[in-house]
Amino acid sequence: MTGFRVSPICDAMRLAQRATSEKMAKPSSEESLIATEREINQMRFAQGNSSGHSTTLGITDLSFLTRFGVKGAAAAAWLHAQNLPIPDAPNRWLPLRGGGLIARLGFNEFLIEDSINSSIAPQLIELSQHPPAKVYPVLRQDAAIALGGSLILDLLAQTCSLHFRALNLSECPVVLTTMVGVNVTIIPGEIYRIWCDGTYGVYLWQTLLNIIEEMQGGAVEFEQLLPL
Amino acid sequence: MKLITCPINGTRPVSEFVYGGELRLISDPQALDDQTWAEQVFYRNGAPGIKKEWWCHVPSNTWFIAERNTATDETLNTYLYGEEDSR
Amino acid sequence: MPFRLLKFALSKEHPEPRMFQSRDRLKSSYDAVIIGGGGHGLAAAYYLSRDYDMSNIAVIEKGYIGSGNTGRNTTIIRSNYLTPEGVKFYDESVRLWQDLSQDFDLNLFYSTRGHFTLAHTDSALRTMRWRAEVNKHFGIDSEVVSPDDIQSACPPMNLACGGHAPVLGALYHAPGSIARHDAVAWGYGRGADQRGVEIHQQTEVLGITVQSGRVTGVDTNRGHVSTPKVLCAVAGFTPRILDMVGLRSPLYIHPLQALVSEPMKPWLDPIIVSGSLHVYVSQTARGELVMGASLDPYELHSTRSTFDFAEGLAAHMLELFPFLSHVKIVRQWAGLADMTPDFAPIMGKTPIEGFYLDSGWGTWGFKATPVAGKTMAHTVACDRNHDLIQEFSLSRFKDYQLVGEKGAASVGH
Ligand SMILES: Cc1cc2nc3c(=O)[nH]c(=O)nc-3n(C[C@H](O)[C@H](O)[C@H](O)COP(=O)(O)OP(=O)(O)OC[C@H]3O[C@@H](n4cnc5c(N)ncnc54)[C@H](O)[C@@H]3O)c2cc1C
Repeated sequence: MTGFRVSPICDAMRLAQRATSEKMAKPSSEESLIATEREINQMRFAQGNSSGHSTTLGITDLSFLTRFGVKGAAAAAWLHAQNLPIPDAPNRWLPLRGGGLIARLGFNEFLIEDSINSSIAPQLIELSQHPPAKVYPVLRQDAAIALGGSLILDLLAQTCSLHFRALNLSECPVVLTTMVGVNVTIIPGEIYRIWCDGTYGVYLWQTLLNIIEEMQGGAVEFEQLLPL
Repeated sequence: MKLITCPINGTRPVSEFVYGGELRLISDPQALDDQTWAEQVFYRNGAPGIKKEWWCHVPSNTWFIAERNTATDETLNTYLYGEEDSR
Repeated sequence: MPFRLLKFALSKEHPEPRMFQSRDRLKSSYDAVIIGGGGHGLAAAYYLSRDYDMSNIAVIEKGYIGSGNTGRNTTIIRSNYLTPEGVKFYDESVRLWQDLSQDFDLNLFYSTRGHFTLAHTDSALRTMRWRAEVNKHFGIDSEVVSPDDIQSACPPMNLACGGHAPVLGALYHAPGSIARHDAVAWGYGRGADQRGVEIHQQTEVLGITVQSGRVTGVDTNRGHVSTPKVLCAVAGFTPRILDMVGLRSPLYIHPLQALVSEPMKPWLDPIIVSGSLHVYVSQTARGELVMGASLDPYELHSTRSTFDFAEGLAAHMLELFPFLSHVKIVRQWAGLADMTPDFAPIMGKTPIEGFYLDSGWGTWGFKATPVAGKTMAHTVACDRNHDLIQEFSLSRFKDYQLVGEKGAASVGH
């Protein structure tokens, strides 16, 4: 892979940063307000560093994690042949050995995402270049977000119509729903993971961040909300 | 808030769904004359009643059948296409 | 209050004047029965009695007159449609509207405001140009205008729309108007009544008798009446009536909702429609903003209101007029729109002798009230489709001769 990609959320961060520096008469010495840009897995992304906020409510961009999508009647069997664990029902997920996760989005559709240290998704992308019958790779260009902190359920109550408190987390649920009008995939837990189509990334991020800031939270470095 | 139960994803607000029209069995176009084909394409069962309809849960793209009273907007039953009897 | 006035209130000699008489019973037969006391049915009765000397007519209405879509619509009147058939037809209607208050001797509050259909995309702007050309060809005042023109006609509008969908231009139609809807029903009702037509409210048609392909009468909750001619003008109830005579049609029924704000000082003169944002708005003489959006997304035969509608409409309205964020909504309601696949009406004779249809008025039929009444009166009286409605017959679907009006009718109504 050559060149680099830009996170679908990067623009939201850049706009926010520009607005902040315009608001301040002269460039502030208070570096903490300024987002920094980083690059991981050939993806450029920006992140906030209001470090203290993750205890109440923090949000971070995880779009840079590598991921792979696949669907088709033979997708489950094919993934099994690659030694991946298969969640036994739609809307369930399982952790992967070595980090990352596999989510079953329907009878025949799956999302596999790496952790910061693993690299299963690029291998699967490679292997699926010449897929067997009834296995169809799905291009995933998600905006991927993580949320954490003590007020997370209050945030979800404002932005989704689903009663998250009622979920049984020991069943490893995956929730397909809408959040502020955008179709999203959510994995609840200690940290909440959210995926949506990349083209909605800026809108979803800005809208969530507005509410989060009202609740005294903010954008944080991804290390504070790193998934398993 | 109006709720519909998706057979896969459970009970959700109607805003998560799109309506796909009444379930209709279309005959083989080759076997029909133009007039009958026009009826199949254009004519609808427009009076209120309990109808079997296509609905889709959009976040998961799940298409299913809902039996709904179109006079009162009550959904009586929902199931995946072809799985009516298994319930 | 001067006591002199009180005697009029108490005296039996000075009853409160009614717009029309109420009759105790139905006669056993009529020359024609009109089902539906909305604007369309009453207008047809009016022109039948005025122009064709037919007054042995009953208008049968299950509720009260104007209780259907006539009394629920947002009253936009315009003729800048897309097809030649549509343009000619609606233009005749606008002409009739302009003299109607005189005709009736009743103030309809007919108010010419100018009508802007905003374009937020290049493709929308292309459709506007096309419409303007068709319109001009038929002599209708219609042109594409620039954002500056829009801004000067409507200074408070935020043309940038929050950056999401900036306004690129608009189709401007100077004759675009609004009117007081229930006065239309009353005006036609009173005019028909004065010429001998009977209006029966609280009377529901339950069945239609047909013998060897000819209409012979209707059954109502107040008994049977015989008649050789039945005009069906029941908007959202049309499929139920068609089931009574065994006719099939492409009509499908979805609710259409609307709402009004609290009254404000006048600030909005023109009528503003945005197809991309799915909203439209005008300000009434009372100062209320009348607002609507697109059709409800699924079939339903109920006039319930939804929060989803008010929320979506408000979100889009605030893109155009952010300063409305503190304005309150005071009423919300719905009507049952009888939709057709091509967004043109279904009018005229049917395969059943003596059964005439005036339907498929969906979200756009208020403006057509005068011309629909006039052409249907001709059709019923002469048993021949009026020239202006030839293209709108039910048979067009089987003949694959659709009249594609969607580009001009879908949100603009
Ligand atoms: C919210 C809304 C906004 C709209 N906005 C516009 C607009 O801006 N511009 C525009 O041009 N059009 C608009 N329309 C469309 C317009 O209102 C209608 O097309 C038009 O009013 C239809 O008039 P009508 O007389 O045919 O029907 P209606 O006024 O609906 O009258 C039909 C009558 O038939 C009666 N009836 C039904 N069944 C029976 C029965 N079995 N026996 C006896 N009586 C029966 C009903 O009670 C009703 O009174 C709008 C519609 C809605 C709902």
